[in-house]
Amino acid sequence: MRIGIDVGGTHTDAVLLDGDCILATHKSLTTADVESGIMAALSALLQTSKVDKSQIQSIMIGTTQFTNAVVERKELAEVAIIRIALPSGNGFPPLSDWPDDIADAVGRHIYLCHGGYLYDGHPLAPLNDSEIDDIITDIRAKGLTNVAIASAFSSMNPEPEHYVAAKLQAAIPGVNLTLSHRIGSLGLLERENAAILNTALLPFAQRVVEAFHSALREHGFGCPMFISQNDGTLMSADFVKQYPALTFASGPTNSLRGAYKLTGLQDAIVVDIGGTTSDIGVLQNGFPRESNLVVSVGGVRTNFRMPDIQAVGLGGGSLVSEDGNRVGPQSVGHRLVQEGLVFGGSTLTATDIVVAAGLAGVGDPTLVSHLSPALIENARASMQTLIDQNIDMMKPNAEPVPVILVGGGAILIQDGLQAASTLVRPEHAGVANAIGAAIAQVGGEAEALKSYSSNGRQQAIDDVTGEARQRAIAAGADAATIRVADIEETEVPYMEQGVYRLRVKVIGEVATLPGSQSLREQRA
Amino acid sequence: MNKIYEHQLEDLSLGSVFLATGGGGDPYLPMLLTRQVLKEFGPVTLIKVDDIDDNAHVVPVGAVGAPTVSLELLPSIEEASATLAAYEQATGNQVDVVASFEVGGGNSLLPIMAAAAKGVPVIDGDGMGRALPEAQMMTYAIAGAKPTPAVARDYAGNTARFDTADTSTYERHIRSFAMAAGGMITAAEHPMTGAFIKKAIIPGTLSFAIRLGETLRKHRGNAENLLPHLQDTFANSVYGTCRLLYTGKVTDKATSIIGGYDVGSVTINAFDHQQVAMQIAIKNEYLIARIGDEVVATVPDLIVLCDYETGTPINAERLKYGQRVAVFAVGCPQFYRSEAALKAVSPRAFGFDLDYLPLQA
Repeated sequence: MRIGIDVGGTHTDAVLLDGDCILATHKSLTTADVESGIMAALSALLQTSKVDKSQIQSIMIGTTQFTNAVVERKELAEVAIIRIALPSGNGFPPLSDWPDDIADAVGRHIYLCHGGYLYDGHPLAPLNDSEIDDIITDIRAKGLTNVAIASAFSSMNPEPEHYVAAKLQAAIPGVNLTLSHRIGSLGLLERENAAILNTALLPFAQRVVEAFHSALREHGFGCPMFISQNDGTLMSADFVKQYPALTFASGPTNSLRGAYKLTGLQDAIVVDIGGTTSDIGVLQNGFPRESNLVVSVGGVRTNFRMPDIQAVGLGGGSLVSEDGNRVGPQSVGHRLVQEGLVFGGSTLTATDIVVAAGLAGVGDPTLVSHLSPALIENARASMQTLIDQNIDMMKPNAEPVPVILVGGGAILIQDGLQAASTLVRPEHAGVANAIGAAIAQVGGEAEALKSYSSNGRQQAIDDVTGEARQRAIAAGADAATIRVADIEETEVPYMEQGVYRLRVKVIGEVATLPGSQSLREQRA
Repeated sequence: MNKIYEHQLEDLSLGSVFLATGGGGDPYLPMLLTRQVLKEFGPVTLIKVDDIDDNAHVVPVGAVGAPTVSLELLPSIEEASATLAAYEQATGNQVDVVASFEVGGGNSLLPIMAAAAKGVPVIDGDGMGRALPEAQMMTYAIAGAKPTPAVARDYAGNTARFDTADTSTYERHIRSFAMAAGGMITAAEHPMTGAFIKKAIIPGTLSFAIRLGETLRKHRGNAENLLPHLQDTFANSVYGTCRLLYTGKVTDKATSIIGGYDVGSVTINAFDHQQVAMQIAIKNEYLIARIGDEVVATVPDLIVLCDYETGTPINAERLKYGQRVAVFAVGCPQFYRSEAALKAVSPRAFGFDLDYLPLQA
């Protein structure tokens, strides 16, 4: 049995699963210290299901704490940043394009030195020991213990990052490090940014993971704990201590993955309707389709893989115009339970419309009995059209697709969406995120520029896949279950023929979860 | 006399990605570097083509290489000005005015950096009015300017001087240097007199790119709503008519490297599926647009793919399966419609068995 927990900004949701069977669910407000809310949710699940904690094999947690730390500029440590790329990039040091408040929060400790590689494997410049030693001396003098290291083309050849890391570890015992090639892909600036954000979160991540661990220990849970990341896979809790930035955007990902688990639909559109917005995402082969654009996290450019989400201004609290021809994007949000008509308020909301239509049983229906049939019909048509059009934008092709409705506002949408081949409202849709966390797997990813003319295409793919496998195993995957999930090949223009950018992602079951064998059989 | 100010660089970048018709590379980092240069040296003078002294020594400056490389081999703040200085040293010529290869991506910004640092004006105009893959497709070369003496400089400050008979040879030689020097170099080439460049340049394109960027920013939104604003902007320009050719989803993108260029095609299916799919041929830039078998736009007219919802232009290397796009076409500047120019830039110059089909109004 496994437990999935989703720690959101407002709610902490939890679910207890036995194989595919949902034994209990729980929804509560997120507590200030997070872990006491998690413990309360765990107790409630066990109480409802009458399951003993010794039967729990693993606990999977999805958390927005690290995203929020960046967005709110809280809990961020000062970071020494070493870029190994001189003489290139002169005039554009790290943090140059960061918002001032977050650049201040990480401390503007910037060091540039010679080194790195070129696209063809030649050194960009030789490493210079005295330059590196001077940097380390200064970092020690400042008492900095968190260091981010990024070198040019390190996703192809990380040697300079390793070299400087080893010197730092020798000089500053216990130093916290992020090597950029471990966290980002091609694009030095974005990869360096990812490494800096990650490094700034390291002390906080260590505290959070320790607090989770000790809370579980105190309450007698002996099982391993995992944390979900942005691509729908899991990291061991200890891995999160090193790579907290990989949890960014795990919320929408878990919602999509949970919808997949609840319906078994591998290719579908998922509409998560909340109080103010509907988030529309796309499932491809059971995983979220990722965004094409450069992703900003708290104003910082990164190249993290994030789900492609279309946010539409329609939710349970959306305001409805007098004639019903306009619904949203303004919303009463969480004040719905005070301001909506069915709750005795004076604002006409989307929820009031569906209650008046006899489709939902919340609040007092007599308070909306005066609404005209024309208004109700218009408003419902407006909502359907809005969602229909936006689903159409997201669809992978013109064929109607299965649409899965989850979230508290799912009742707003009725059958008859033109873009939908079928409309699915899974049971337990309210805790889809927690279910998504519970079923996550372990992934590994690697990227490099490879010349096919030297060793051939297959050798190049094998090399990169091997690196991805190593990363998956390091993240807690069972080596025997690892499969290649994605190979992305991009030819590099203008260069000599046969140079490709190769990106491989592999996915496997959680190694330490005894139930992984049965999961594997289910999928086969 | 106009100036280019720091606050205009974002619009310039956005507008020049549109005009780059899929090529030109991401201007993000060059823009931030240019901003720093203008902070240090002040706004740069943007001189109108007609105001250039006939005896002035005018030199175009820009980058040559693979845009993908500059994701890792970051440009440096001094590379444009140092290249110009290396040119002066190697040739003994004083540069009076800086010009642009192309109004596209980072190459719209390098001349501004060079001119600001040297304290000379940059010409309001460029040698393509868009982006094109090869040096001999530049208006300067078509008008008969010699490519050399030219000087190229790599990221480490290594320089090379070129003296070649014609631009095609020069193009091959400088591309070899770029590949040997990390994949991206900066060059000062095709030196001209003020009198010569007046008849060899597409005028007004830098200030136009700023106006176009302003339009894209102010009217950011879906393609149908954006269209009338784009048409207004193009109406008073060296460009021809602007049309929205197609909207839909990228359902296939297949490109491969042939002869050192990214060659292939993209297929777009209409949102409503009522219409036959559109195919666009790519050689670094978007070259030919067909709906079914019917050719609807060809190079040298501009074919531009934008994000459908925001109108943000998309570079060819960032184009991906599943993207929702709008395809615009814009008539090319008059310069490219002459027989001599079409020899260098018509579909046949790219190996298509097809004549230039001027965009219908």
